[in-house]
Amino acid sequence: MHDSMRPNHARTKLPAGFPPVATYTRPMPDVTQLLSAIDAGDPKAADQLLPLVYGELRKLAVVRMTNEKAGQTLQPTALVHEAWLKIAGDGNGHFANRRHFFKAAAGAMQQILIDIARRKQRLKHGANLIGDELHESRIAMSAPSEELLAVNDALAALAVEDPQAAEVVQMRYFVGMTVPEIADALDLAPRTVDRHWAFARASLKRTIRTSLSGSAGPD
Amino acid sequence: MTEREIFLEALEMTTPEARAAYLQSACSGDVALRHGVEELLREHFSNDSLIAGPAVEAERSAAEAGVEEAPAAMLDRYKLLEKIGEGGFGEVWMAEQREPIKRRVALKIIKPGMDSRQIVARFEAERQALAMMDHANIAKVFDAGRTDSGRPYFVMELVRGIKITEYCDQNQLPTRERLDLFIKVCHAIQHAHQKGIIHRDIKPSNILVTLHDGVAVPKVIDFGIAKATQQELTDKTVFTQFQQFIGTPAYISPEQAEMSGLDIDTRADIYSLGVLLYELLVGQTPFDAKEMMQGGLDALRQIIREKEPLRPSTKLNTLQGDARTTAGKRRQTDVGKLVHQLQGDLDWIVMKCLEKDRTRRYETANSLASDVQRHLSNEAVLARPPSAAYRLQKAWQRNKLVFTAGSVVAVALVAGIGVSTWQAVVATQARGVAVHAQAKAESSQQKAETEQQRADAQARKASESEQRSRRLLYASDMNLAQQALKVKRPLYGSGRARVRQPGPLRFHANR
Repeated sequence: MHDSMRPNHARTKLPAGFPPVATYTRPMPDVTQLLSAIDAGDPKAADQLLPLVYGELRKLAVVRMTNEKAGQTLQPTALVHEAWLKIAGDGNGHFANRRHFFKAAAGAMQQILIDIARRKQRLKHGANLIGDELHESRIAMSAPSEELLAVNDALAALAVEDPQAAEVVQMRYFVGMTVPEIADALDLAPRTVDRHWAFARASLKRTIRTSLSGSAGPD
Repeated sequence: MTEREIFLEALEMTTPEARAAYLQSACSGDVALRHGVEELLREHFSNDSLIAGPAVEAERSAAEAGVEEAPAAMLDRYKLLEKIGEGGFGEVWMAEQREPIKRRVALKIIKPGMDSRQIVARFEAERQALAMMDHANIAKVFDAGRTDSGRPYFVMELVRGIKITEYCDQNQLPTRERLDLFIKVCHAIQHAHQKGIIHRDIKPSNILVTLHDGVAVPKVIDFGIAKATQQELTDKTVFTQFQQFIGTPAYISPEQAEMSGLDIDTRADIYSLGVLLYELLVGQTPFDAKEMMQGGLDALRQIIREKEPLRPSTKLNTLQGDARTTAGKRRQTDVGKLVHQLQGDLDWIVMKCLEKDRTRRYETANSLASDVQRHLSNEAVLARPPSAAYRLQKAWQRNKLVFTAGSVVAVALVAGIGVSTWQAVVATQARGVAVHAQAKAESSQQKAETEQQRADAQARKASESEQRSRRLLYASDMNLAQQALKVKRPLYGSGRARVRQPGPLRFHANR
């Protein structure tokens, strides 16, 4: 993914002494403020939103997984929706904010999944999961990490050519949002979302296959 | 028009012919453009796994999930009758097949909304796994298909049974019969292993017991998370995600608990079989499932990886109160006897299955079954390095008749030897006495002879001394006569001198 989107504090850790069974009560004041700033037309605010949402989602994932029973997995859609509810609960959840938030959340979720995929690749070489990483790793991924990394790379190129199609991919592929949900979040007609997804998917597949046949032969 | 626009427009065409015609006109001789669009279309319609859907599993509400299957609904040639089971992602229906033969079958179908790529792949894997196997103790697959909404299903043998542990308890099966059932389960698992399939979720609810002509037949079901060891089961990759906690906590092997997902082999099933055997024998699993779940995932993994389970007999002995009475009653005996039954062989067999280090477990399900069989026929089990005394004990249990006959012969021999020895001793003693007596007799005879000789010698001596005295007397007589002659006075007359002549002379007169 675009390195510019990479959050600065990607290794956000929970405060020391964080109780093992915790509830998520802290609102997201910073996120709320930034959303208001974006709404007010501050161009810098949008850039600052992604790393913040990234941090919040990771914290939320850890809290959720600490309280869940063993064997439970975490659905990114549920995570993103829950994060949104925390914000909207403050009364700032009007329509434009919601759109900004979901865009940022999709980007953040993509980053979280790519982090996991990279760690998994490292695991194959004998590393071990520890602490928060273990909880995050329970996010329910259904594609192999190789595919996630390939899509991540191909998506960077597509984002230049067709930013809106790339946003749809982030929401559909990395968050698992449905077409109506995406249509809602991006303020598009569902049919348009369908077409974005169809083109983006075919295009990404072609790019990945070309790069595969270039390096390791056809799939 | 751009590549994107032509592509999206082409998607609107309903037939391949219409699409080809549209491309022909839209690209109007631009070969590169047409090639690009054709590539996109090929990617769009290809059925491979690449970006087949979202990379994540999504939450789905019932409304989005689509229609539920309902009783009496027809699915191809199967009429759904009743939902008989429900798992994480699948449902099992009892259904009626109409043709070519009319029979009741079990129809397993992916739950509405759960048809994500991974689940479909896993589902497909189960169908393939089952189809590869042909064993009396494994449910058979008859057919497969897809619903109108595209959800895959497969049709298999309807197993009307209950959990193996429930069956055993309800029928109060004694240990021996439980072991017989268990051996059959091992054979089924062995069959799967030979086909290159690891079950990975062996537990009582996946082993149903049905009655065939009054004979209990265990059937292994639910190869839902079974994994191919050798070849790909499907053309779709079965994604074994390391973060997915696959299996059931009480039954999973330490290596499964590791969740590395990379290195599970048939010995994981041996571990689970050991847990099953444990439960059949004791009525409880080695570790309590609830207790295991309390500490969360890490604690669970630690228990499975590090904690040594109690031996089955020890565990039984720790049971208190009702649990204790029930455990005995369910096996038609009392706990004391049961503990005695388990001590030794069965303890060893179970503990060998539950080894944390899989290289120390049984290599195959068959060798486990054989060991249980050995126990049943009182042969030495492999689970224990045999001592001479143990083997002898086993040999004794095995060949009681031979041993008894042998013992009788041995006793007879010993008795015979004893009696004859005693007799010999008695005889020897008698002989000793006799000899002694004889010796005594001889010695007294000798004495007598000596006495006789001595007496003879005395007699001889006596006669000699008599002779001598006679001679002396004669000599003195003769002296007297001479002296008388000299004094001229005859003392006794001449005649008297003649009278006192000595007797016949044996010695010289002068001596």
